[in-house]
Amino acid sequence: MTLSIGLLVGLVAFSVAAILVRDILKAAICLAAASLLLGILFFVMKAPYIGAFEISVVAGLITVLFMVTIALTKAEGDVRESKLAAWAFPLFFAVFLIIDVLVMKSLIGKIPTQTTTAEGGSFGEALWKGRTFDLVAQIGVIFAGVFAVLALFRKRSKDE
Amino acid sequence: MSSTWLLYMAFAAVLVFVGVYCLLTQRNLIKLFIGVEIISKGISLALVATGYVKNSIFTAQALAVTFIVVEVCVVATALAIIINVYRHTKSLDIRKLAKLKG
Repeated sequence: MTLSIGLLVGLVAFSVAAILVRDILKAAICLAAASLLLGILFFVMKAPYIGAFEISVVAGLITVLFMVTIALTKAEGDVRESKLAAWAFPLFFAVFLIIDVLVMKSLIGKIPTQTTTAEGGSFGEALWKGRTFDLVAQIGVIFAGVFAVLALFRKRSKDE
Repeated sequence: MSSTWLLYMAFAAVLVFVGVYCLLTQRNLIKLFIGVEIISKGISLALVATGYVKNSIFTAQALAVTFIVVEVCVVATALAIIINVYRHTKSLDIRKLAKLKG
Protein backbone atom coordinates (compact mmCIF):
# COMPACT_ATOMS: atom_id res chain seq x y z
CA MET A 1 0.00 0.00 0.00
CA THR A 2 2.91 2.37 0.75
CA LEU A 3 4.26 1.79 -2.75
CA SER A 4 0.83 2.57 -4.25
CA ILE A 5 0.51 5.81 -2.28
CA GLY A 6 4.05 6.82 -3.28
CA LEU A 7 3.23 6.19 -6.94
CA LEU A 8 -0.05 8.11 -6.65
CA VAL A 9 1.70 11.10 -5.04
CA GLY A 10 4.35 11.02 -7.77
CA LEU A 11 1.63 10.83 -10.42
CA VAL A 12 -0.11 13.92 -9.04
CA ALA A 13 3.23 15.75 -8.62
CA PHE A 14 4.25 15.16 -12.25
CA SER A 15 0.76 16.14 -13.46
CA VAL A 16 0.95 19.41 -11.50
CA ALA A 17 4.47 20.01 -12.87
CA ALA A 18 3.15 19.44 -16.40
CA ILE A 19 0.72 22.34 -16.11
CA LEU A 20 2.98 24.70 -14.13
CA VAL A 21 6.19 24.34 -16.18
CA ARG A 22 6.41 27.08 -18.82
CA ASP A 23 8.40 25.14 -21.41
CA ILE A 24 5.98 22.94 -23.40
CA LEU A 25 8.65 20.31 -24.10
CA LYS A 26 9.31 19.91 -20.37
CA ALA A 27 5.54 19.74 -19.79
CA ALA A 28 5.29 16.87 -22.32
CA ILE A 29 8.16 15.04 -20.57
CA CYS A 30 6.43 15.52 -17.18
CA LEU A 31 3.27 14.06 -18.71
CA ALA A 32 5.25 11.05 -19.96
CA ALA A 33 6.72 10.56 -16.47
CA ALA A 34 3.21 10.70 -14.99
CA SER A 35 2.08 8.04 -17.49
CA LEU A 36 5.06 5.88 -16.57
CA LEU A 37 4.15 6.05 -12.87
CA LEU A 38 0.51 5.26 -13.68
CA GLY A 39 1.66 2.25 -15.72
CA ILE A 40 3.78 0.99 -12.79
CA LEU A 41 0.76 1.53 -10.50
CA PHE A 42 -1.33 -0.65 -12.81
CA PHE A 43 1.31 -3.39 -12.49
CA VAL A 44 1.06 -3.06 -8.69
CA MET A 45 -2.75 -3.37 -9.00
CA LYS A 46 -2.23 -6.72 -10.76
CA ALA A 47 -3.34 -5.32 -14.12
CA PRO A 48 -0.22 -6.05 -16.24
CA TYR A 49 -1.88 -5.81 -19.66
CA ILE A 50 -3.18 -2.29 -19.15
CA GLY A 51 0.10 -1.36 -17.42
CA ALA A 52 2.08 -2.40 -20.50
CA PHE A 53 -0.46 -0.61 -22.71
CA GLU A 54 -0.20 2.57 -20.64
CA ILE A 55 3.60 2.62 -20.72
CA SER A 56 3.98 1.75 -24.40
CA VAL A 57 1.08 3.70 -25.91
CA VAL A 58 0.41 6.64 -23.57
CA ALA A 59 3.93 7.24 -22.19
CA GLY A 60 5.57 6.37 -25.53
CA LEU A 61 3.39 7.06 -28.55
CA ILE A 62 1.45 10.07 -27.23
CA THR A 63 4.67 11.72 -25.98
CA VAL A 64 6.19 11.28 -29.44
CA LEU A 65 3.06 12.85 -30.98
CA PHE A 66 3.34 15.80 -28.59
CA MET A 67 7.03 16.28 -29.40
CA VAL A 68 6.38 16.14 -33.15
CA THR A 69 3.66 18.79 -32.72
CA ILE A 70 5.97 21.00 -30.63
CA ALA A 71 8.72 20.62 -33.25
CA LEU A 72 6.31 21.49 -36.09
CA THR A 73 4.84 24.54 -34.39
CA LYS A 74 7.98 26.08 -32.78
CA ALA A 75 6.05 28.78 -30.98
CA GLU A 76 6.97 28.24 -27.36
CA GLY A 77 7.57 31.89 -26.47
CA ASP A 78 4.61 33.00 -28.50
CA VAL A 79 1.83 32.53 -25.94
CA ARG A 80 1.89 34.55 -22.75
CA GLU A 81 0.35 32.54 -19.94
CA SER A 82 -1.40 34.34 -17.11
CA LYS A 83 0.93 34.64 -14.10
CA LEU A 84 -2.08 34.87 -11.79
CA ALA A 85 -3.11 31.32 -12.74
CA ALA A 86 0.25 29.92 -11.63
CA TRP A 87 0.24 31.94 -8.39
CA ALA A 88 -3.37 31.04 -7.54
CA PHE A 89 -2.89 27.33 -8.21
CA PRO A 90 -1.54 26.36 -4.73
CA LEU A 91 -4.51 28.06 -3.08
CA PHE A 92 -7.13 26.36 -5.27
CA PHE A 93 -5.25 23.06 -4.99
CA ALA A 94 -5.17 23.22 -1.17
CA VAL A 95 -8.88 24.09 -1.00
CA PHE A 96 -9.72 21.21 -3.35
CA LEU A 97 -7.54 18.79 -1.34
CA ILE A 98 -9.34 19.74 1.89
CA ILE A 99 -12.78 19.29 0.26
CA ASP A 100 -11.64 16.02 -1.34
CA VAL A 101 -10.36 14.57 1.94
CA LEU A 102 -13.48 15.67 3.84
CA VAL A 103 -15.85 14.18 1.24
CA MET A 104 -13.93 10.89 1.07
CA LYS A 105 -13.76 10.68 4.89
CA SER A 106 -17.50 11.21 5.14
CA LEU A 107 -18.07 8.41 2.63
CA ILE A 108 -16.06 5.81 4.58
CA GLY A 109 -18.42 3.10 5.78
CA LYS A 110 -21.39 4.51 3.87
CA ILE A 111 -20.70 2.73 0.61
CA PRO A 112 -21.97 -0.85 0.90
CA THR A 113 -19.20 -3.38 0.31
CA GLN A 114 -20.55 -5.99 -2.05
CA THR A 115 -19.30 -9.49 -1.51
CA THR A 116 -17.78 -10.24 -4.86
CA THR A 117 -16.00 -13.37 -5.88
CA ALA A 118 -12.83 -13.16 -7.92
CA GLU A 119 -13.46 -12.96 -11.65
CA GLY A 120 -12.84 -16.26 -13.38
CA GLY A 121 -11.20 -16.86 -16.73
CA SER A 122 -8.47 -14.72 -18.22
CA PHE A 123 -7.97 -11.25 -19.67
CA GLY A 124 -8.28 -12.67 -23.19
CA GLU A 125 -11.67 -14.20 -22.42
CA ALA A 126 -12.90 -10.97 -20.82
CA LEU A 127 -11.75 -8.95 -23.85
CA TRP A 128 -12.75 -11.28 -26.70
CA LYS A 129 -15.90 -12.82 -25.25
CA GLY A 130 -17.17 -10.23 -22.79
CA ARG A 131 -16.35 -7.03 -24.70
CA THR A 132 -16.57 -8.17 -28.33
CA PHE A 133 -18.63 -5.17 -29.37
CA ASP A 134 -15.98 -2.85 -27.88
CA LEU A 135 -13.37 -4.36 -30.18
CA VAL A 136 -15.55 -3.65 -33.23
CA ALA A 137 -16.01 -0.08 -31.99
CA GLN A 138 -12.23 0.23 -31.47
CA ILE A 139 -11.60 -0.70 -35.11
CA GLY A 140 -14.12 1.97 -36.14
CA VAL A 141 -12.46 4.58 -33.90
CA ILE A 142 -8.98 3.76 -35.26
CA PHE A 143 -10.22 4.16 -38.86
CA ALA A 144 -11.97 7.42 -37.92
CA GLY A 145 -8.71 8.73 -36.40
CA VAL A 146 -6.62 7.69 -39.43
CA PHE A 147 -9.03 9.27 -41.92
CA ALA A 148 -9.30 12.44 -39.83
CA VAL A 149 -5.50 12.86 -39.80
CA LEU A 150 -5.33 12.11 -43.56
CA ALA A 151 -8.07 14.68 -44.23
CA LEU A 152 -6.33 17.31 -42.14
CA PHE A 153 -2.95 16.83 -43.85
CA ARG A 154 -4.12 16.35 -47.44
CA LYS A 155 -2.49 18.54 -50.05
CA ARG A 156 -4.80 21.25 -51.24
CA SER A 157 -5.37 21.69 -54.97
CA LYS A 158 -4.65 25.08 -56.56
CA ASP A 159 -8.36 25.84 -56.94
CA GLU A 160 -8.96 25.80 -53.15
CA MET B 1 -11.90 -2.54 1.08
CA SER B 2 -14.10 0.51 0.73
CA SER B 3 -11.43 2.84 2.14
CA THR B 4 -8.88 1.59 -0.43
CA TRP B 5 -11.31 2.38 -3.22
CA LEU B 6 -11.98 5.84 -1.76
CA LEU B 7 -8.23 6.51 -1.60
CA TYR B 8 -7.87 5.78 -5.32
CA MET B 9 -10.99 7.85 -6.07
CA ALA B 10 -9.56 10.77 -4.07
CA PHE B 11 -6.38 10.75 -6.19
CA ALA B 12 -8.41 10.35 -9.40
CA ALA B 13 -10.47 13.41 -8.36
CA VAL B 14 -7.25 15.37 -7.76
CA LEU B 15 -6.03 14.48 -11.26
CA VAL B 16 -9.34 15.56 -12.79
CA PHE B 17 -9.14 18.84 -10.82
CA VAL B 18 -5.59 19.52 -12.06
CA GLY B 19 -6.70 18.87 -15.66
CA VAL B 20 -9.79 21.09 -15.38
CA TYR B 21 -7.69 23.88 -13.80
CA CYS B 22 -5.30 23.63 -16.75
CA LEU B 23 -8.20 23.86 -19.21
CA LEU B 24 -9.62 26.91 -17.45
CA THR B 25 -6.41 28.91 -17.02
CA GLN B 26 -3.95 28.09 -19.81
CA ARG B 27 -3.89 29.76 -23.24
CA ASN B 28 -1.48 27.57 -25.19
CA LEU B 29 -3.30 24.97 -27.31
CA ILE B 30 -0.75 22.23 -26.55
CA LYS B 31 -0.94 23.01 -22.81
CA LEU B 32 -4.73 22.74 -23.01
CA PHE B 33 -4.40 19.32 -24.55
CA ILE B 34 -1.97 18.28 -21.82
CA GLY B 35 -4.84 19.16 -19.43
CA VAL B 36 -7.16 16.82 -21.32
CA GLU B 37 -4.52 14.08 -21.04
CA ILE B 38 -4.28 14.58 -17.26
CA ILE B 39 -8.08 14.26 -16.96
CA SER B 40 -7.95 11.03 -18.97
CA LYS B 41 -5.29 9.67 -16.59
CA GLY B 42 -7.64 10.30 -13.69
CA ILE B 43 -10.44 8.47 -15.47
CA SER B 44 -8.32 5.44 -16.35
CA LEU B 45 -7.05 5.31 -12.76
CA ALA B 46 -10.66 5.31 -11.52
CA LEU B 47 -11.62 2.55 -13.98
CA VAL B 48 -8.78 0.18 -13.12
CA ALA B 49 -8.91 0.91 -9.37
CA THR B 50 -12.63 0.08 -9.27
CA GLY B 51 -11.97 -3.21 -11.08
CA TYR B 52 -9.09 -3.97 -8.73
CA VAL B 53 -11.11 -3.36 -5.57
CA LYS B 54 -14.28 -5.08 -6.84
CA ASN B 55 -12.41 -8.21 -7.97
CA SER B 56 -13.20 -7.71 -11.67
CA ILE B 57 -9.80 -6.64 -12.90
CA PHE B 58 -10.08 -8.37 -16.30
CA THR B 59 -13.23 -6.48 -17.31
CA ALA B 60 -11.72 -3.24 -16.01
CA GLN B 61 -8.61 -3.85 -18.11
CA ALA B 62 -10.71 -4.55 -21.20
CA LEU B 63 -12.59 -1.27 -20.66
CA ALA B 64 -9.34 0.63 -20.05
CA VAL B 65 -7.86 -0.75 -23.29
CA THR B 66 -10.87 0.62 -25.19
CA PHE B 67 -10.46 3.94 -23.37
CA ILE B 68 -6.77 4.20 -24.31
CA VAL B 69 -7.47 3.39 -27.98
CA VAL B 70 -10.09 6.17 -28.10
CA GLU B 71 -7.67 8.50 -26.28
CA VAL B 72 -4.88 7.90 -28.81
CA CYS B 73 -7.21 8.59 -31.76
CA VAL B 74 -8.45 11.79 -30.11
CA VAL B 75 -4.87 12.92 -29.41
CA ALA B 76 -3.74 12.24 -33.00
CA THR B 77 -6.71 14.11 -34.47
CA ALA B 78 -6.49 17.03 -32.04
CA LEU B 79 -2.74 17.50 -32.55
CA ALA B 80 -3.30 17.48 -36.33
CA ILE B 81 -5.93 20.20 -35.84
CA ILE B 82 -3.48 22.17 -33.65
CA ILE B 83 -0.82 22.01 -36.40
CA ASN B 84 -3.38 23.25 -38.96
CA VAL B 85 -4.46 26.06 -36.62
CA TYR B 86 -0.80 27.07 -36.24
CA ARG B 87 -0.36 27.14 -40.02
CA HIS B 88 -3.36 29.46 -40.36
CA THR B 89 -2.80 31.81 -37.42
CA LYS B 90 1.00 31.44 -36.91
CA SER B 91 0.29 31.18 -33.19
CA LEU B 92 -0.79 28.66 -30.59
CA ASP B 93 -2.75 31.24 -28.60
CA ILE B 94 -6.33 30.14 -28.00
CA ARG B 95 -7.49 33.79 -27.87
CA LYS B 96 -6.55 34.32 -31.51
CA LEU B 97 -9.09 31.69 -32.48
CA ALA B 98 -11.86 33.85 -31.05
CA LYS B 99 -11.58 36.30 -33.93
CA LEU B 100 -14.00 35.54 -36.74
CA LYS B 101 -12.98 36.25 -40.29
CA GLY B 102 -15.33 37.18 -43.09
